This record gives sequence, structure tokens and C-alpha cells, in this order.
Amino acid sequence: MTQPEDRSGQRGVWPRHVLPRGWLALLCALVLTAAAFGPRAEPALAAAEAPDTGIVVRKATARPNEDGGSAALGGRETRLTWEGTVNVAEGVSSVTLELPEGSSFEGSSTRVTVLEGLDRQGVEGTARPEASSVTVSFSVPVAAGSLLRLEVSGMSFPSAGGDYVVSGSYVTASGGQGRLEDSPAISVEENTAVQRVVGWLDGQQWVEAWNSVPFLGMFLKPQLLVTSFASLFQGWLLCLLVVTAAYPFAILLGLAFALMRISRNPLLRGLSSFYINVLRGTPLFLQIYVAFFGLPMLGINIDNTLLGVIVIAVNSSSYQAEIYRAGIQSIPQGQYEAALSLGMTRMQTMLWIILPQTVRRVIPTVTSDFITSYKDTSLLSSVGVMELMMFSKNLTTVTGNITPYIAAAIYYLMVTLPLIKVVGIVEKRLSAAEAGQGPRPKGDGKGSLSVETIDSIGGESNVR
Amino acid sequence: MSASLKSSSRGLLVPKALEAEEAARLAWEHDLSLSRHRFVEGEHPVVRIEHLNKTFTGTPVLRDVNLNVWNGEIVVVLGPSGSGKSTMLRCINLLESPTAGHILIDDREITGSSKTDTTLLRRDLGMVFQNFNLFPHLTAKENVMIGQTRVLRRSKEEAEGEALAQLAAVGMADRADFKPPQLSGGQQQRVAIARAVAMHPKVLLFDEPTSALDPELVRDVLAVMRDLALNSGMTMIVVTHEMGFARDVADRVVFMEGGVVVEQGLPEEVFDRPREERTKEFLGSIR
Repeated sequence: MTQPEDRSGQRGVWPRHVLPRGWLALLCALVLTAAAFGPRAEPALAAAEAPDTGIVVRKATARPNEDGGSAALGGRETRLTWEGTVNVAEGVSSVTLELPEGSSFEGSSTRVTVLEGLDRQGVEGTARPEASSVTVSFSVPVAAGSLLRLEVSGMSFPSAGGDYVVSGSYVTASGGQGRLEDSPAISVEENTAVQRVVGWLDGQQWVEAWNSVPFLGMFLKPQLLVTSFASLFQGWLLCLLVVTAAYPFAILLGLAFALMRISRNPLLRGLSSFYINVLRGTPLFLQIYVAFFGLPMLGINIDNTLLGVIVIAVNSSSYQAEIYRAGIQSIPQGQYEAALSLGMTRMQTMLWIILPQTVRRVIPTVTSDFITSYKDTSLLSSVGVMELMMFSKNLTTVTGNITPYIAAAIYYLMVTLPLIKVVGIVEKRLSAAEAGQGPRPKGDGKGSLSVETIDSIGGESNVR
Repeated sequence: MSASLKSSSRGLLVPKALEAEEAARLAWEHDLSLSRHRFVEGEHPVVRIEHLNKTFTGTPVLRDVNLNVWNGEIVVVLGPSGSGKSTMLRCINLLESPTAGHILIDDREITGSSKTDTTLLRRDLGMVFQNFNLFPHLTAKENVMIGQTRVLRRSKEEAEGEALAQLAAVGMADRADFKPPQLSGGQQQRVAIARAVAMHPKVLLFDEPTSALDPELVRDVLAVMRDLALNSGMTMIVVTHEMGFARDVADRVVFMEGGVVVEQGLPEEVFDRPREERTKEFLGSIR
């Protein structure tokens, strides 16, 4: 990456003794300008003045190759720019640049620029790329005092990413050899699978054609869809975490309030009605605001995610209380009577007879409520919980594209669509089971009295 | 007594329950000629109903009902619908609370019982309902087991053994693992009988057990009840419209109409030589 400091530094370290006197004034002006905008690399200046010190490496950068970003990614083609000042009296006839294993120069092309002062020298170069190195031989030795710039296009860094240093060697005009000092480190980011897919998409013609349609490019840009999926994943996990953590509490709270609502105690009934009606009668959005802004004012500070779980649980519990109450009241009176006639207490009747049947009946409705609660976690983005909507909102702001919202929609649907399907299946099964069409255990299918039993009874048959 | 206080506050005045020995003596004298039951010197009735009144929102359903049921006796209660026979049965295990009067089980007053006492009492009074009321989420076997394990605290093994035995007795052993919706009405009712019997109650109450069944399914259920009546020695109070069953199996037939016991006696007496005009009319109407 090229940084402003480097640039100013280069100006500051320009080798004065190779410059024609006429340029000196201009140089001074440049140096002063640079000094005004950034620090200079004074030690390098000193090195440049020393004769025959080999090649002083000025810079090594990689061109950003990330889509929608400014990072240099490993494992993808980029351009390496390396610069050094030749301080070899007899000149240099070839330079070899080396990178750590995993880098690739194969198929790369190298452009050679030699500057003496500001004059471009007509030096041709022949590059011989090997696995992780490239050797450039010059048509004429690069003279001492020249700035040598090598731009290697089509090379790549290792996929893993990291800080990479360009090393290497050179051969002098007389055949002497020297090592190149290590370049400043080049920061390379890991090339993830996502980036590889994006890179592949970038190269596809149909993607280009697709994106050229305004609607498709704005709502369904393939590259952004891929990157959105990767970046939203974390938010999706948080959504799932919030709703799955909230739900067990919502179920228990809902059940408790449902039982209170049908209790014979008027105080419990009143409390429960108040709780249920207030929560069902106000928007969740308002409840979130009250909890997130009201509680801190009371000096109660709870972690945002935890508070999100609590708000969702409390809100959902009010809806579930009504679901359970309706479910309990849908159980025929005969079930209570049968249980009581066996000598069960009201508690036992509720626990072993009524609730198990209620649970079966309310599974579809409760699942629908779960779907609602899952979608409702999106409202938590308004108070800074880093869930799915929050991530997609941020990404949309950065890219100016709607695609991240579409990706979020897909994440929501990934959970809701299967659940909607499950609701349908469960409903079908329940109604089949109530009609006696469920799977049967083994048996002869008749279940009538055995002959023996009837004989032992010995009475006459039905007299009506 | 709280029951009588309560009743007087509603404008129904009934005398206090009789003292046990006195009641037993009077009941003996009253019932001796009315039942096939083999009376034993000095025995007390299991169920004693004295001056039972029940009012639903001002409408009297039971009016001064008096009835005794003896240990091992099979009492069949007949009567047109709305005669109060089901209500009387439901008062016995307090599914309905009497408005006034007394019900005594083994000489213990149950009217005005606390919640706990009511729960304990019901263990001794098995009930078979018109609509079976099996627990649909449990298999036939589990239906028969749940009262044993949860109420009587029998071990799972013991309860299962008892359940299978009772299911076998009603011819439902091969359906032990079926759930109620997978069974026919007659099969469900037989499981319901097994469920009640497995609790070994003192008295079994049958509330029109065959009324909700298709005619062809009635036979099996009646066969089971007949078997139970003849072979188990269980005390049974059966509200039914099955005249054949009443004639064959009952030790005593009780005819109710308009919330009062109109006539009671040996089955052949009531069926063949009814004394009361209303009994004759009723029997005539269903023949």
C-alpha cells in the first residue's frame, strides 16, 4: 500500500549529488513542501549518500485488489512495485526479487523504469519469473545513482495473508553479486473463500451484464450478495441467539401468566390481565425504547444483548399467555372430570392431563409466534444491538447498494420458511391424530372381545 | 352441620343426617324386599343418600332423593332424560355439589367436604362417563395406569401389571398401546371401564355408558359390565337406558322422574308389575 508518508519521504531522500544544479532550487522547494506535510526519512538520506552501498530499497508495495475495499489480498493477482536506488559504482546488470514461498510470479510481466534524476533512461529488461522469485536482466547495466523501479503485474502473494518482505539479490556489471536488503513489509490480507468467489464473479461476463441492469445491480448484485452473506452471518447468529435464549423464558412466563389468568384468585387474574393487555396493547418498538433508555436512567445497566433477550421474552410471553389460555380452555370439561374422578388434585389434573394436551394443540400457534419473535429481533437494531438488520444497514450505507438488505431477507427466510412448513406439517399431523389416523402400534386391528371372554360372561347378547 | 346450614340459607330445609346405626336399621327395613342383594345382619349401606336436593340456577333437578346402596349391590337407575339420574350420580362423587341434603360413603358425610377430602373420596368412587373421557394423549395402557401411579402412588411395574390385567378383562389387551382416537367408541368405553376398575374403588358409577355408542358397539360394552357385575362383586350404580341389562343384571332397579325417586324394587317387580303410573308410562314408551 502506498502511504502519503512514503511519498514525501522519497522526495526528501532524493539523491542530491546526481541532480543537475539547475534543479536544485526546485528540489529544495519540494523538500520544503514535503516537510510541511509529513515527516522525512532522514536515516535513508544518509545511506543514499554513501557510495557503493549496494542497492538501497526505497519502497515495496502491492496494489489493492479487494472488491469494494482497499486491502491487498493474498492468492489473487496484484501488482508488486519495488523501488531501489542503485549505489553500485559499476552498475547493476540484473536484479532478483524474492518473496516467501507460496507467492507466485508465474505468468507475471515486469515493467522496468530507470530514472536518473527525473530523466527516464531507456533501459530494457528481461524478466525471468520463477515460482516465488523473478529475475530481471537489464539490456544495459543500471548506472549508479539511478532509481530502479520494477512493477511486476500478475503476481500473487500467499493466500494466507500476513506481512511480507521482498528480499533478493543483484549482479553487478562485472559479475559480482550482492544481497538486496529487505524491503519494508507489505501487509497482505488473507484471501478468504468469499473473496475468491467474488474474484471469480468479477471476471464473469454475465455478472457484468447482470449488474448493468439498474434494478439487478442495485438489489441483487452478486458480488455484494456474497460478501453480505459473509458479513451478516454474525448478525444472524445474534438474532438466533436472542430469540432462542428468549424463548424458553417466554414459554415459562407465558404459561405462568396463562395459569394466573384462569386462576380463581381475582388478584392473580387482575395482575395477569394487566400484564398481558399492556404488553399486547403497545408496540414492541416502544417497549424496546422504554427498556433501553428508561432502565439506564434508573441506574440499571444491562448488557444490550441480554436486555434484548429480556424484552423479546417479555413481549412474546404476553402473546403466549393468551395462546396457552385459549389452549387450556379448549380442552373439554370431560377431561377435567375424568381426572378428578380418578382422585387427581387440580394441580395433578393440570400437570398430567390438561397441559400435555394443551401443548400439543398450541405447537402450531406457538411456532408462529416464534417466527414473529425472530423477525421482531430486527427492531433491536434501533437501539444498537448488532443483529442482522444492523449489519445490513451498515453495509448498505457503505456500499450505497440495497443488496445487503436482500441478503438479510434471505437470512430471515432461511429460518422462517422451514418453520412455516413445520407448522403446516404439525397441524396436519395433529388433526390426523385427533381423527385417529396416526401411526398405529402392532395389533390384529380388531380389538374385539375374545371368544373366551364372551363365553365366560355367558349372558345373552345385546338386548335393547 | 355446615351442609344443613348452607341448605337452610338457600331456603331448603332438610333434617340432619341420621346416626349410622339408626340409618342402617331403617335402610335395612326399607330395602330388604326391594333388592336381590343378600343382606347380612348388621351391615351398613356403602352409599347413603338422604334428602338430596340439587338446584341449577333456581331450577330444582333433584328433590329430596333418598337412596341406599349396599356393598356388592348392582343398582340400575332408569328414567327419562332430565329426570336427574345423572345429576344424582355426579353428586355422589361431588362432580356436582349438592344444594342440600346428605351423602354418606361408609357412614362418612361427604357433602361439604374440604378440597383434600373430596380428592381422597374420589379415589373410592370410580366413574365411567357417557363420552368415555379417555385421555387422548395417552395410550390405552397409560390411561389405565395414570390414576394408579399419580394418585395411588403404585409403582410403574405394579400399575402396568394391573393395567394389562384390567385391559385383558375387558378384551382390550391387544389394544394396550393404541391411543383413544384410534379406537372405536365401544373399545374406548371398555378402556374407560378398565381405568375405573384398576383403581379398585368401593363403588363404580356408570353414567349412561352406552348412550354415545352405535348400536352394534353397545353389545361388547354391556358384556363387559355384565361380567363385572356378576363376577367381581363390585358395587355398581348404573344410569342407563338398557332395559335388558337392567332386567338381567340389576339387584335393584330405581326409576326416577322429575328429580324424585318414583319407584324402586326388584327388576321383575318394576318391569312386570310397576306400581306407579309414571313408571308404567315410561316403560310403555320404550317398549
